[in-house]
Amino acid sequence: MDQMTATDSRVEIAGVLVVLQASFSLVAGLSAIPFGIVEPGFRVLSVVTILVAAMMFWLARNLRRGRRWAWRWLVLAEVLSLTVTALLALLPIGTIRGPVPVLVNLVIPWAVLVLLASGSSRSAGPRPGPADPA
Amino acid sequence: MYDIATDHAPALSAAIVLLAFCLVFLRLLRFLAERQAGWAVRFLEGFDAASPMAKLAAALMLVSGAVHLALVPGHEGITGLLFIIDGLGFIALALAVFVTAWWRRPAALWLSATLVAYLVWVIAGWEAPDQVGIACKLIELIALGLVMRLKNPARAAWPRRLGRATAFPLLVSLTTLGIWIGGLAHPDALHAHAGAVLQPVASTATPEERAAAARLLADTKASLARYQDPAAAVAAGYKPGPVSDADPLLHFQNQANSRALLDPNRPQALVYARTAVGLKLVGAMFQMPRVGQWGPDPGGPLTQWHQHEGICFSPLGFEFSFETPFWTCPVGSGSITTPPMLHVWIIDNGKSGPFAAELDKAAQRQLTGRS
Repeated sequence: MDQMTATDSRVEIAGVLVVLQASFSLVAGLSAIPFGIVEPGFRVLSVVTILVAAMMFWLARNLRRGRRWAWRWLVLAEVLSLTVTALLALLPIGTIRGPVPVLVNLVIPWAVLVLLASGSSRSAGPRPGPADPA
Repeated sequence: MYDIATDHAPALSAAIVLLAFCLVFLRLLRFLAERQAGWAVRFLEGFDAASPMAKLAAALMLVSGAVHLALVPGHEGITGLLFIIDGLGFIALALAVFVTAWWRRPAALWLSATLVAYLVWVIAGWEAPDQVGIACKLIELIALGLVMRLKNPARAAWPRRLGRATAFPLLVSLTTLGIWIGGLAHPDALHAHAGAVLQPVASTATPEERAAAARLLADTKASLARYQDPAAAVAAGYKPGPVSDADPLLHFQNQANSRALLDPNRPQALVYARTAVGLKLVGAMFQMPRVGQWGPDPGGPLTQWHQHEGICFSPLGFEFSFETPFWTCPVGSGSITTPPMLHVWIIDNGKSGPFAAELDKAAQRQLTGRS
């Protein structure tokens, strides 16, 4: 059916999830811009968030190309994201309420980490895209 | 802001039950394949040959199919019919992953059509976006991303590759914006304004509740008379919160009163308006100790508590923005939900009344020159 190796497949799945996270960050950054009109802090945060989103798109692209440094930066970003979410979840401020925040802020970063860890044995050199079995 | 609709809750159980069923189904297939059942052998060969990416796409489509079928009993008419078609379609496509080579294009079209249909439904107000619906769209977006990546980008020309690279982020962004627009354009009866969720109450107040509400207002006014001067509030243990340019009101909070329950003599916070001539006391804010714990409402629908949800809070400058429907905030801010609160406005609060979630815009403009 599919000629993609299991390791390639794991990296591809991680890449899709990172692009999804980057897209969410992009919308969060863009949506904060109107608040920046009256809240100076959000002017900075919106720009930082858009830059982080752009960086994640770039990391996802380089992860698929087999760049080892992209793998390292993504592991760092996901560990940071999970740690902050876990710390916020410990506070009585209702950060995690319902299935959507659990999926987006806990399950997806955790899944990316697991996929990156299981795909870490792959070579660092460039490789062709996934094969089309059709 | 986005809760779980009561009639949607069973869909979450359906997704979990389905995954358990799939494990049993696979074991049954292996049992049948060992006994040389031809169709079971062919299916298992396809399953074993499929990449983890294709298997995950199939699993996600199965989950979405199960969620749609589980939602049918709560949806009548065309919506219910479409849920049946959608659910069966997803299950058929999930099975097609292991027995056909042409499943990708139909799957991509089916997933895209389902996402677009959901956006049409929520923007038109025919369906309220809730966490089950949003979680289902998240699952479909991931499945669509996987299906799109299963095509070989290296074989396509650059305009097509560029299209593929931007299509998925664009779809995710448009889906997020569409759900957001739908939620804000058609808030349900328990959303006073974006981010504030009201306590469920009866539609009309009884004479006893009207009297109790009037008593609460009178008692609060009498109690607050001593705090007209902010210095008196500070002397009594109230501390001013951070000043935000975006908020013409300033809250003075007293941690010593955090356990008091709607006690007019011990409000959790005093609310001052920042006027041209200094701070003017405009009301009190009562707050419960925990998120989701509604307070006593002696006035019934007249004294309706509210809590703020879906708020992104930045400690840098004490600022707020709104969370996206997928529960994401700008970097450097975090999602918060406040414990329920009840305001008692001791000034004329116009049409909104003395217990409204917010100070009336006209009253606010008159006091501060800002709305």
